[in-house]
Amino acid sequence: MSKRIALLPGLAIICVMFLVPVGFVFQHGLFDPSFTTEHFTRFINRGAYMRIFWTTLQVSSVVALACLIIGYPIAYFIVRQPSRRRPMLIFLVLVPMWMSILSRTYAWMVVLGKEGIINQTLLWVGLIDEPLKLLFTTGAVYVSMIQIMLPILIVTCFSSMTEIDQSLMRSARIFGASPFKAFREVFLPLSLEGAITGTLIVFILSMGFFIVPALVGGRKDTMLANIISSQVSTGNWGFAAALSIVLLTATLLVMFAVRLFSSRFVHHQGETS
Amino acid sequence: MVIRQLFVGFTCAIAVGTSSAAANESITYAGAGGGLAQVMKTVFDDPFAEQTGVAVNALATSDRVSALKAMQVAGRVTWDVSELNPIEYATASLSGWLQPLDWAVIDPLGVLPPEAKLPDAGIAATFSTVLAIRTDKLPEGKTMNSWADFWDVETFPGGRALQNQPIDNLEFALIADGVAPADVYSVLSTEEGQDRAFAKLDEIKPHITAWWTAGAQPVQLLSDGEVDYSSAWNGRITKLAEQGIPVEINWNGGGIKGSYVAIIKGSQKIKASQDYISFLMTDARRSAKFASMVPYPGMVNGLYEHLEADTGSNLPTHPDNVTAQFVTDAVFWGKNLSALKERWEDWILE
Repeated sequence: MSKRIALLPGLAIICVMFLVPVGFVFQHGLFDPSFTTEHFTRFINRGAYMRIFWTTLQVSSVVALACLIIGYPIAYFIVRQPSRRRPMLIFLVLVPMWMSILSRTYAWMVVLGKEGIINQTLLWVGLIDEPLKLLFTTGAVYVSMIQIMLPILIVTCFSSMTEIDQSLMRSARIFGASPFKAFREVFLPLSLEGAITGTLIVFILSMGFFIVPALVGGRKDTMLANIISSQVSTGNWGFAAALSIVLLTATLLVMFAVRLFSSRFVHHQGETS
Repeated sequence: MVIRQLFVGFTCAIAVGTSSAAANESITYAGAGGGLAQVMKTVFDDPFAEQTGVAVNALATSDRVSALKAMQVAGRVTWDVSELNPIEYATASLSGWLQPLDWAVIDPLGVLPPEAKLPDAGIAATFSTVLAIRTDKLPEGKTMNSWADFWDVETFPGGRALQNQPIDNLEFALIADGVAPADVYSVLSTEEGQDRAFAKLDEIKPHITAWWTAGAQPVQLLSDGEVDYSSAWNGRITKLAEQGIPVEINWNGGGIKGSYVAIIKGSQKIKASQDYISFLMTDARRSAKFASMVPYPGMVNGLYEHLEADTGSNLPTHPDNVTAQFVTDAVFWGKNLSALKERWEDWILE
């Protein structure tokens, strides 16, 4: 009981600063001024908004999975290093996070641009005669978002991997498992929870992105958050609130679905199965 | 109990804060901040405080419609005077958030043209969305001279950029399609006119490299060579040209817009606010000084008499530049923005 009291200040802050404002958002979306589903009908009936919604889900899922595929091996590599070398490696992973998202996005514009580093190099080497269109494409959105999100996934995976007792792997090997089998049967299930948490965090953050697609994306790379921001600035708060509710609900649903599905594969240390 | 004491203390602190502010009078001006606010401080705010004793507390604001709506909903108006772009003005005016102005007090000598004096706002500065051209990227011996040329991708190959919004682009499309700048809004008021504009935009859509959303983007796109031709705000292009980038403004078919100033309904300082608006708008010499520092001129009569010829020729309201442009109709857009924005969003995703 006494331990739970320690949670109270945190809970109070979450209630006042988060739950109450979210309540206001629900109120704006559903009452205008009396109860109405008008804003939600508008969202469902307009093809453009549904398409933007699917784009948002798709971009966020691809970014989250790509981060997992790239980030998990990096975290595994770092955790297998001697412990005196790990802080330096984690430091290197974290360095890009000190730069604002805006500067990192502009940096990608310098890299991917028509007269940017990649095109200049390829032209100079003679591999291409005309600059490639790299910027203002969906690919550019993916590359920038993955680079921005990657450190978050690596750090989440890494911290859960450090808690895995390394001697478990060794005992598996002693009992005759091949290195790959030891990894697959012992390490992977134990590290899965951290990996899934990291992937979900990346997914949730990606769902709310709007600066990156607006700056490096093409005309079709609009995400839901872009529309929310433009609706807020033109004073359509009811519709903006409805879109926010859609975004929040979709994010929560995906989160629960992933948790439910993955609970079958996740193992905790000390569990017997 | 403690909480209650704290609360009372807090309320008193607020009360003291407000009353002391009222003693040495000040008004709150919601502007754009940045370089513009610094120029305004030197040219207008400091001399105004010296002359009247009223200090101007200039805020850097964006997204003013949301802020104004929140103030009206909460019943607590914290701005006295606000700068408003055409859409913000139309929204605020149609929503009834603006205080009617007494022009007999603001402009007793009648130095302002009637277009600058609206019932609930004044046009304090003007800017224009223009065609900006990288002159070094033009085909040998040719100059891009109109929106029709911008649409002509055969004669003028190269990347192009437009703003990602219906305002300006529908007008540009109609002008490119042969509508005279003066007739743009009568055509655009009809269903067929809107269809015509979107049909014309269909032609240029595949050739647009980037759809910009912030005023700084076309500047960056043009200077990085990402695009060769773009719509842009005139002041940004003047500045870019000063930095040595071979870029030029073509005024033909540009869309002149007002930067409006208005008093927010619920402000307690209407007299001081009207004095400030008068100070901003009605002194030709001071307005000329402002326009020589920031290329967004006011509308007071005789402004150009106080400006150097080559400074004046870079401004959107200069007699040589103004005739080829159209004036963006704030009221048309205030009424039609929602519907046309929806259509635009559909169109852009197609």
